[in-house]
Amino acid sequence: MSNSVMGAAAVALGLSASITGIVVVLMGLVGHRGSWKRETRWLVGIVTFAAVAAVVVMERALITRDFTVAFVAENGSTKTPALFNFATMWSALAGSILLWTVILAGYLVAVLVKFRNRQDDPMVGWAILTMLVVTTFFFALMLGPANPFRTFNPPIGFDGPGPNPLLQNNVLMAFHPPILYLGYVGFTVPFAFAISALVTGRVGEGWLLATRRWTVVAWGFLSLGIILGAWWSYETLGWGGYWAWDPVENASLLPWLTGTAFIHSVMVQERRGMLRVWNLSLVVATFSLTILGTFITRSGVLNSVHAFVESGVGPWILTFFGLIVIVSVALIAWRGDELRSPGRMDSAVSREGAFLANNVLFAAFAFVVLLGTVFPLIVEAVDGRSISVGNPYFDRMTMPIGFALLFLMGVAPVLPWRKASSGVLSQRLIGPAWFGAAVLVFSVLVGARGWAPLLAFTLGGFAAGASARQVIFATRRQGWRGLVGRTNGGMIVHLGVIMIAVAFAASNAYVRQDEFTLLPGDTATMSGHDLTYEGSTVIEYPNRNERVARIRIDGGQVYEPALATYPLAGQSINIPSVRSTPVDDIALSVLKYPEGADDAVVLRATIQPMIVWLWIGGLVIAIGTLMAVIPGTRRRPTDPVSAPVEELVV
Amino acid sequence: MKKRSNLRLWSWIGVAVLGVSAFLYGSVSGGEPRTNAERAYALANDFACPVCQGQSVAQSDAVVARIMRRKIRTWVDEGRTKEYVRAQLVADFGEEIDYTPSATGITSLVWILPVVGAAGAVTGLFFMFRRWKLDSDFEASADDVALVEAARTDPT
Repeated sequence: MSNSVMGAAAVALGLSASITGIVVVLMGLVGHRGSWKRETRWLVGIVTFAAVAAVVVMERALITRDFTVAFVAENGSTKTPALFNFATMWSALAGSILLWTVILAGYLVAVLVKFRNRQDDPMVGWAILTMLVVTTFFFALMLGPANPFRTFNPPIGFDGPGPNPLLQNNVLMAFHPPILYLGYVGFTVPFAFAISALVTGRVGEGWLLATRRWTVVAWGFLSLGIILGAWWSYETLGWGGYWAWDPVENASLLPWLTGTAFIHSVMVQERRGMLRVWNLSLVVATFSLTILGTFITRSGVLNSVHAFVESGVGPWILTFFGLIVIVSVALIAWRGDELRSPGRMDSAVSREGAFLANNVLFAAFAFVVLLGTVFPLIVEAVDGRSISVGNPYFDRMTMPIGFALLFLMGVAPVLPWRKASSGVLSQRLIGPAWFGAAVLVFSVLVGARGWAPLLAFTLGGFAAGASARQVIFATRRQGWRGLVGRTNGGMIVHLGVIMIAVAFAASNAYVRQDEFTLLPGDTATMSGHDLTYEGSTVIEYPNRNERVARIRIDGGQVYEPALATYPLAGQSINIPSVRSTPVDDIALSVLKYPEGADDAVVLRATIQPMIVWLWIGGLVIAIGTLMAVIPGTRRRPTDPVSAPVEELVV
Repeated sequence: MKKRSNLRLWSWIGVAVLGVSAFLYGSVSGGEPRTNAERAYALANDFACPVCQGQSVAQSDAVVARIMRRKIRTWVDEGRTKEYVRAQLVADFGEEIDYTPSATGITSLVWILPVVGAAGAVTGLFFMFRRWKLDSDFEASADDVALVEAARTDPT
């Protein structure tokens, strides 16, 4: 049986099982069918089997270079190295939908296993039903406009072009999309439980507690996926940057922003019973923004360096997005009365006040990014003009929000619940304030100038001081357990975010870029670094030819930026070479390769400080997320949740 | 207790003086002057490459982007203003390449809406806090106090 037939059969099986699953769960929930729990387990098993089988068939087709599968003919090649050949599945539209589906099926099984003892609970039933609806949509996409198993009749001796050359010269491409998708798709779980809470009317804190770790895990994967994407961009695209406010980058940032707001605001609802509508809205926004991001990436409506080719999936995804928003808003409106919060806020200067401010800022950040991303479409639709919104707009509008968030990261961890006195604040903030001042003085001494980066470094130091204070106190009190649990792990995540914020500010403020025309033996000097062009060579690989320029930096190691030509794809790309140190990075790329051995090379050099701290910050976030999902020491229910009375009256 | 409180106050004054001085010094003293290459790079980041998919003039390797970078560098070397560079590039390649939306006409909405949204959010929060405060400003009646006291002293 051919791969196309087997793949199409697997997709059809998955779709049938998903639809049947919806019917069975629905009948079980309304009480017409007693055996629905056993049947649901079987059907979810079949859905997962079908998704895994479709992936196995696709990989088999790619590995065996079965060009009768159109996806392989369009994206595969006999010359593609094994790792990139495996990763080809997510290098194009239909395969990426397949990846999405198999991850979703994995989450579905995980939910079923985790809640196996609560399957009688309608909350779990409705959540599984919601997840099955989403699964059905993605299987339907694969039977419709994003069919990965279309057939092709290859002529004798046919070889495909291979994946986009940009996607086959860096190992990060094998990891960035799956990790990003683990984050995107992971938000389906809290969304499904939110819908379930609205349908069942159990809109208290139960659904939040049930999905707390799922949300954190999804957020962690999304954060790591975004960082890996920035790293891939930096190492591959050759322009010396890592973030360009591109629509596809923004599409991944949007759910991260609302997801981050959600992770913080759930704590207010858990502790104080407040912000019920807000939390539901945030989780719905986060999930629907992942779907909107999918639309932006795959519909071709916006110009992006990352976008897939224009395809017919746009209207499907947009319709699904509309459906999610309409149903969710209708359910929230329906439960309006029950969503009234029983709690109230005693003071703005409290932990919950800080979380509220945090949420307003994250919502404003998300609004600015969304508006800037879709604004060119709005103007074109209304006025017929083509405009662009880019770096200057996003930098100007998001910078004050970023400063405010850094400040809150410093203040919030030391605030007690309910109300803080000035004495408590003064005592707890003096250490972080000194640390922020020390960072500022150090920055000035090493030559940093300009109010914006200095403010970022100061606030970064202040926030790092507050996070470190929390971790130190917790480990002093509880030993190694002071590093785990939501609060302590969260502080480690904060340290990672601060590293990224400071590195972002430094690299943007002090970036230097220039172009040089150099003959062999010539040296260019830039920001105190000597770049010597020593000559060039041509290296032949099975899938490409690389014309390499040899550049010695500061009389030390030789770096080799190259121009790679992929004959089958008919495309040439720049392969930058980067020297990284904890202080600064020098990224080299060749703009014009010399025709003869004695001719000049045109070289672009970009020097940016602290780039490596972006990637280290990403690693710290991942470690912090892991710590946050490990259960920490629980507060005794009889312990007060706020500062003792004597502290309040100091 | 008072001694410690005074010590903390002086500590805050010290950190404020140190922080403000260092910040003012670092913000006002310009450090090394920006080179023309740096100015040209900053400007090239403000414009889209006209033939690329979502890349700026500074980022792109396309021939037209390299020509634009050379033009920008020439204008910077001639001492032209930002506004001159913007006007020239927009005249040659159209409004679409300008990453900074104009602050007039319909495009001004992209600047105005976030500010209006922020003002609305702050106003909303103000009224929310006020309502919470009003809700909490009540006195327990004598009956309430008696009820609680009876419950506390009830041995069962």
